[in-house]
Amino acid sequence: MLHYASKKVLRAVLTIWIAVTITFFLLRLLPADPTLLVVEGDMTPEMQQALREQYGLDKPLFVQYLLYLGELLTGNLGVSFRQLVPVADVLLARLPWTLLLAGSAFVLTILIGIPLGVYAAVGRGKVVDKLVQFLGITSNALFVPSVAILLLVVFAANLKLFPIGGAIDPDTRGLAAYASLLQHLALPLFSLVLVQVGPYALTLRTNMLEVLGEDYIKSARSRGYTPRRTTWLHALRNAFIPALTLMGLQLGTLVGGAVLTETIFAYPGVGRLIYESVQQLDYPMLQGAFVMLALTVVLANLATDLIAMFLNPRIRT
Amino acid sequence: MSTTLPAPTNLDALTRRRRRGGGYFASPSGWLSVSVLVVFALTAIFGPMIVDKPSGLGADILQPPSAQHWFGTDDLGQDVFAQVVWGTRVSLIVGAAASVIAIVIGTALGLIGAYVRRLDPIVTTLTDVMLSLPLLPLMILVTALAGPSVLTLTVVIGVLSWAEVARLIRSNALVVSSMPYIDGARVLGAGPVRILSTEILPAVMPLVVVSVLLQAARAVISEAGLSFLGMGDPSTWSWGRILLNAQRSGVIATAWWQTLFPSLAILVLVLAATIAGIRYNDSRDPRLRGI
Repeated sequence: MLHYASKKVLRAVLTIWIAVTITFFLLRLLPADPTLLVVEGDMTPEMQQALREQYGLDKPLFVQYLLYLGELLTGNLGVSFRQLVPVADVLLARLPWTLLLAGSAFVLTILIGIPLGVYAAVGRGKVVDKLVQFLGITSNALFVPSVAILLLVVFAANLKLFPIGGAIDPDTRGLAAYASLLQHLALPLFSLVLVQVGPYALTLRTNMLEVLGEDYIKSARSRGYTPRRTTWLHALRNAFIPALTLMGLQLGTLVGGAVLTETIFAYPGVGRLIYESVQQLDYPMLQGAFVMLALTVVLANLATDLIAMFLNPRIRT
Repeated sequence: MSTTLPAPTNLDALTRRRRRGGGYFASPSGWLSVSVLVVFALTAIFGPMIVDKPSGLGADILQPPSAQHWFGTDDLGQDVFAQVVWGTRVSLIVGAAASVIAIVIGTALGLIGAYVRRLDPIVTTLTDVMLSLPLLPLMILVTALAGPSVLTLTVVIGVLSWAEVARLIRSNALVVSSMPYIDGARVLGAGPVRILSTEILPAVMPLVVVSVLLQAARAVISEAGLSFLGMGDPSTWSWGRILLNAQRSGVIATAWWQTLFPSLAILVLVLAATIAGIRYNDSRDPRLRGI
């Protein structure tokens, strides 16, 4: 078990290192001189030189790389071009909103996906199965902004059931604040869940079909357990593990979806920040956002892998 | 998608079944998805020749759909139908070309990983790393640095989305490469390049075809996402850019036609490509072919 866990941790560290290295070389190799990206017209040669020294651009590439890694380890992601504040500060202020949105989408997808997948597998070939398969294929073809706009037009603009954007009403206190939080979360959350739940239910269905044909299910049935108990306890437990691992791998897509849905609903997370930074061509901000999201996704992925490990008796012992 | 290798037993029954039909076009999902793809391709090729490129300012601002403007007009008075038609070309080009790039890289890496034992750990690790990174933020960063253009979008999407293909091809090529006829080829003196290209690749080719369709569908969605975030080529139309214009001019809640029609185009195209891929897979699977 320790061997398995350490392998996963090592892979997470490797992934983060690769992500960081990619961003470093992207920024150094693509444009001829990063200082040219900063300036907007009038900047004296002295200022440019000062900027080069500040970024360490007068040193050899390898030294620059080590300096960059050192800066990252101390949490320094650079300074925003436009807002002239540390990128890390801005990102950390925005990150909780994205975590709330993506995290609840993750949980809700699993909660809705499990019954869909299980019922489809149990009723293989019946109407419920056909419906789940249809939902799976359609949901996989959905474009997050389209879904978000549809929900916004119907439920926020016309029916006025939910607010049109933002994350919370600043005038609310106590319980009302939580209610306002949930109200603002609902539409961006559902746009994400609608896109995620189909493929998840399909995977769970496939896993369930496989597991339901196993000998230990027959043996559980022959020992007198009810079909419901064998399905939901014995079979689901084993079908759930690979489905959880898949959700872990889908986290990157989930975060990508969050970027898009936050943009539509003006949700103040990292995604909306990326959209704003694109409009202003704020490269350090975009770079920092990628590094921070990659870190988040890799850590969350590691967490799902470790949870899957605890659920799986074959690795646990 | 599981492997689709036909079971080698009972070959007579297999050929008889094939003769009885049950091929690709036997089911409505087969010909329907292909006809939709053909319509999109024709629109992409001939549409821009018939419909004028939307530009400048029009007199009718934010008009709902009418006989004159089928899909309505946007806040500059430009025809949304013309934008969707012109956007079809970019979406299809980026989708197809990016898919080909992803397939070439993914298939090559997947085959190498499956056959060359020493390189397998590197391939699997790289694939896992690519799969677990948040690709959209990475694509945004690269496109922003390289300068938005159709070419940039294509290369960025293609080069960053091979991981799924590599994983799929590797797991299937692993099954193939442990089959006796591969050993036979090796005994006869075939080198790794020859075995990979003439023995293993043809065996996984059906899966490559399916992947082309599925990857193209994903690439269309990626392109729309990047264009929607403002990373598209500012001089060309794309479905994502129409949505971005609606978002920027703040008419999302009012001008439903400006967002509905490009959204439908994305949905229908992606659905058609996905279903065509699934149908191709099913029509080759002897277990699923109707007798």
